[in-house]
Amino acid sequence: MSRRIRTHLPSSRRIRTHLPSSPWLFLGPGLLIVGGFSLYPFVSTVINSFTDKRTLIDGQYVGGANYQELVHDDMFWTGLRNSVLYVLGAVPLLVILPLLLALLVQRHLPGITFFRSAFYTPVVASVVVVGLIWVWMLDDRGLVNSVLGALGLGTVSFLSDQWLLLLSAMLVTVWKGLGYYMIIYLAALANVPRELHEACAVDGAGAVRRFFTVTVPAVRSTMVLVAALSSVNAFKVFSEVYLLAGPGGGPGGADTTLVMLVQQVGTGLSGRVGYASALSVVVFVITLGLMLLVLRANRREDA
Amino acid sequence: MRISRRQERRAARHTARRAARRTARRAATTTAIATACALVMAACGASGGAGSDSASGKVEGTVEFQTWNLRTNFKKYFEGLIADFEQKHPGTKVEWIDQPAENYADKLSADAAGGTLPDVVNVSPDLAVPLAKAGLALDLDKAAGKYRDEYLDGAWKSHQIPGMEGTYAFPWYLNTGPMFYNKKLFKEAGLDPEKPPTTYDRLFEDAKEMADRSKGRIAMLGNAPAIEDFGRYGVPLMDEQGTKFTFDDAKGVELLKKYKELYDVGALDSQALTNEAEATGRKFQQQSIAMNPGSALDLGKFKKEAPSLYKNIGITPAVSNTGKDNMYVQGLMVNARSEVKPAAVAFAHFVTNAENQMDFAHEVTVFPSTEGSLDDPFFTEEDGTDETRVRVAAAKSLKTAVNYTPVLFSDQMKTVLRNEVAKAMQGEKSPRQALDDAVAECDRLLKSAG
Repeated sequence: MSRRIRTHLPSSRRIRTHLPSSPWLFLGPGLLIVGGFSLYPFVSTVINSFTDKRTLIDGQYVGGANYQELVHDDMFWTGLRNSVLYVLGAVPLLVILPLLLALLVQRHLPGITFFRSAFYTPVVASVVVVGLIWVWMLDDRGLVNSVLGALGLGTVSFLSDQWLLLLSAMLVTVWKGLGYYMIIYLAALANVPRELHEACAVDGAGAVRRFFTVTVPAVRSTMVLVAALSSVNAFKVFSEVYLLAGPGGGPGGADTTLVMLVQQVGTGLSGRVGYASALSVVVFVITLGLMLLVLRANRREDA
Repeated sequence: MRISRRQERRAARHTARRAARRTARRAATTTAIATACALVMAACGASGGAGSDSASGKVEGTVEFQTWNLRTNFKKYFEGLIADFEQKHPGTKVEWIDQPAENYADKLSADAAGGTLPDVVNVSPDLAVPLAKAGLALDLDKAAGKYRDEYLDGAWKSHQIPGMEGTYAFPWYLNTGPMFYNKKLFKEAGLDPEKPPTTYDRLFEDAKEMADRSKGRIAMLGNAPAIEDFGRYGVPLMDEQGTKFTFDDAKGVELLKKYKELYDVGALDSQALTNEAEATGRKFQQQSIAMNPGSALDLGKFKKEAPSLYKNIGITPAVSNTGKDNMYVQGLMVNARSEVKPAAVAFAHFVTNAENQMDFAHEVTVFPSTEGSLDDPFFTEEDGTDETRVRVAAAKSLKTAVNYTPVLFSDQMKTVLRNEVAKAMQGEKSPRQALDDAVAECDRLLKSAG
């Protein structure tokens, strides 16, 4: 004998929890902000990229002319090269160093909270202040060069050589980002079961072996997250290079990154908004590609 | 306590009256908004037409006045100025806005694009160009031509644009800079501290001597040449019609070659290719650069921030092949879409008239752009102090000074020139090639600007 199971409350007792419009009321503010400050600018950037719009002068439709110009623009290739180099230089360091740092401060030692906060300080500090401090330190007559001079190593022109400038900027990015990614790793490390480490130790594995067989596999998805975040940020780098190399982007503009180029081309009273928009669209496509690449790498490893 | 009948009635009457007043006010607001919209639309529609240049009418209404980094130091002066104007023209009100020095052009472009440009705006000639081309600057030859004779001819012309009719801002204050040099560093390099270089040949020789003696520790100059340096060297920068740039001629190449020689022997600061003016100023104060351009304002700064430099400071006119100093001009532009044009023109003229400019020059070491003002004893008689000496020398040089930077030379073009100059100095390109490339790219930008 089967009895029907009643899954619904009788209609008379059903409580009306919301009006049809209620979800929209909750979503409204968020949608407005996303629509007004992300979607609309995005769409209008794409549209502008097909015009010759300037800051104060409305543009005419010019088809793909901006994109064609871009291919023949030396500065675009310089910017692309620098942004790619930035990703290749900064991302591996930002994936590995914070993990080691997290392992270091993960232990419960007296006074460890001090070190945790100390490593996190650069993240909180304003990038402009940090940039200026590094400029003073790396100057030809700055702290670093005085020390090198005292050791008899001569002057290293960190701020006037095109490659050293880029390297110095990466250094600042890595130094400033360490703490942030360290926190992410700390959260992931807290989830690694102790038993695994213990079992591994019982089997006679040393610290290095345990790191590679227990820790790394356990935090791999976090590593992918960090790689994705840091590569997108590295590709979009602006402040560090702007502050160290100056608004012109180093000697002869040789250290200009793509985002700096967007700023140089598109701002000011005679800014070329159309061309700058085309550059921005290219930056967007490449960042999207980077994200997909990192995510795909992860899926393959999981499989 | 009981409320009496009469009180009740009075309260009711009061409420009714308040409601009526509220309705009336709301109606008035609606009308005002509608009128404003209509005016805005009319203004937009009329822009570019000849009618928009008319500034005749009654001087009344609220004028928005925007200055560039002047509030911190000159609040009192401007408040007095505004009070005087409002008193002279009853029915006017001036709202003063000040913007910080950084990113002023970006602020202007945001305002201009958003239609919120103030009525009277502090500009420099290069900022006035794009605003005038977009039809946002009032042509003052038409709207205020009667005041033209009050100003120095050169100053009035500084806001004219090649290829365009009209003058797009009242000239306001002028400035020019001497070169400051460090007598101690000159002496250490075996140079006569009382005889700073007055010709380019001497300057370049002294610079090499200094680099040699100090083993590259002290540089004579801190910056690679910019457009005004080419101008001062006597290089023709642009053709008369403003259609193409010409600084890649033989003289320009010669200057760049000489600078490259200096850079190679360490007579220019090692970071000369990336230094901003601010960084060079700091290095001059730290006494690692021996010579740096400045303005009369800097003297006070040295006194306060670098007393040991101040003891050894020398002042000399900037070297030039043309006999004319470089002049920096500030102007006041009137918004062509202003709703209170007569008042805006009257106020811009008031701020820049001889009397008020003279008062401003007494507040701070800048120089008036009005006819005859520079003959005032304040600018001609020395009293033995360094400040006065700089002021008198600057005022004298201003009589013939010119603004070397072509008004059509945009920020983007400055970047192009700077990059090409750097490539030449690093030896990546020959000076000839670098300047040719710079001119070609600047011409292209000029054409695309229309």
